[in-house]
Amino acid sequence: MSTPAREPKQVLDVALGLDAFPVLRPDDLLKTALEEMTAKRLGIVCIIDDAGLLQGVFTDGDIRRHLLSVQRPFAAFFSDDVIDHAQRKATTVPATASLREALDVMARLRIWDLPVVDDQGRLTGLLHLHPLVEAVMAADTRN
Amino acid sequence: MGTDRVVEVGYGDVAKVRIGKGLPLAYIGGPCAIESRDHTFRMAEAIGKICARLNIPWIFKACYDKDCRSSADSFHGVGLEEGLQILADVRDAFGVPVISDFSDPSWGPATGEVCDMVQVPAYLCRQTSILRAAAKTGRPVHLKKGQFMSPWNMKNSVRKLDAFGGVGTVLADRGTFFGYNMLVNDMTCFPIMSKTGCPVCFDASHSIQMPTSMGNVSGGQREFIPALVRAAAACGIQALFMETHDDPKNALSDPNTVLDLKYLEFVLAQAKKVHEMRLALLEEFGEDNVHTGS
Repeated sequence: MSTPAREPKQVLDVALGLDAFPVLRPDDLLKTALEEMTAKRLGIVCIIDDAGLLQGVFTDGDIRRHLLSVQRPFAAFFSDDVIDHAQRKATTVPATASLREALDVMARLRIWDLPVVDDQGRLTGLLHLHPLVEAVMAADTRN
Repeated sequence: MGTDRVVEVGYGDVAKVRIGKGLPLAYIGGPCAIESRDHTFRMAEAIGKICARLNIPWIFKACYDKDCRSSADSFHGVGLEEGLQILADVRDAFGVPVISDFSDPSWGPATGEVCDMVQVPAYLCRQTSILRAAAKTGRPVHLKKGQFMSPWNMKNSVRKLDAFGGVGTVLADRGTFFGYNMLVNDMTCFPIMSKTGCPVCFDASHSIQMPTSMGNVSGGQREFIPALVRAAAACGIQALFMETHDDPKNALSDPNTVLDLKYLEFVLAQAKKVHEMRLALLEEFGEDNVHTGS
């Protein structure tokens, strides 16, 4: 008899692992960020340093804003370091937060993704809106 | 954005030249090619006196092999062995660091053994083999932006040099192709290339070159050298590259672009003054930051 799956209650239960979303270094090119976002089908890149500490995030919205404000050729834009266009102060969530708490943060800030960090600020995962909503809806159905 | 780097040029007993933000403008100059021992010494002595009078840090430049001539009949240089011996002797006699370019990776070790800084020609600025050889010399590298390259793409060449263990890179602008046989200086090159963290240099001689405009030799508009030097210094450079000759008409290499030696002090003095004025402006007003869009 198989053990029934634990009901997802915390961020760590539904967060994507580090290999399932774009994670780059500060000096990776912006072009690489776009490729990674396309390959992983996510609108966010998390940028970490050598110690794994989150240095910033770069999102679809940043691309849109920069395309309108940075009056430079695409070739120049693509050659920039991704960190030069990143948001340095990203909103994060701990792995132990409840799904409801995380959902509230996303709703309040109107964002789709929350980097998951440990108490040292090291990136451990990414909470994406779709699996989060699925988990919350499944829990509501069960209850 | 890379961290600002200071490049130190000079090993052993020669005068050390430090190139970087906030430091005095460095001058890289000489007669383009080593024409003979006597001429090279004569030029080094004359330039040395001018730089001493102006108190400008100086790296003596002369090449032993000119591998990118327009014609097979053009002067190709005295060759590696003789040329490096002359450079070593100039170095000893005047206590000045020396630089030569090299166009073949196999010439790298010998060039680096003598020269305090090695130069990668603009046409070869993205060739991995020559960049590897330059980095492996253990000497700082003067890397010229190819006439066909965008300034932002020079980051790739800088990263190659870093990956191969390079000890320091100075990036130079020598003009960008503007149609055929014509170059133009885009002064935004300097702040853009500065974002790599490398010091940037203006090559005044080759910027006014008109590549192979004279059929089988390059022409040039040297009358624009002073204006472009002042403009580049005002934009923010850390080094000025300028070739000079005591008899330009009869120079064996680049006769249409070398600056007549009799004008060198005139141009260098102005470059130094504009550079110092820019440093004073930075002190008073801070770094340029007027972009409000992002």
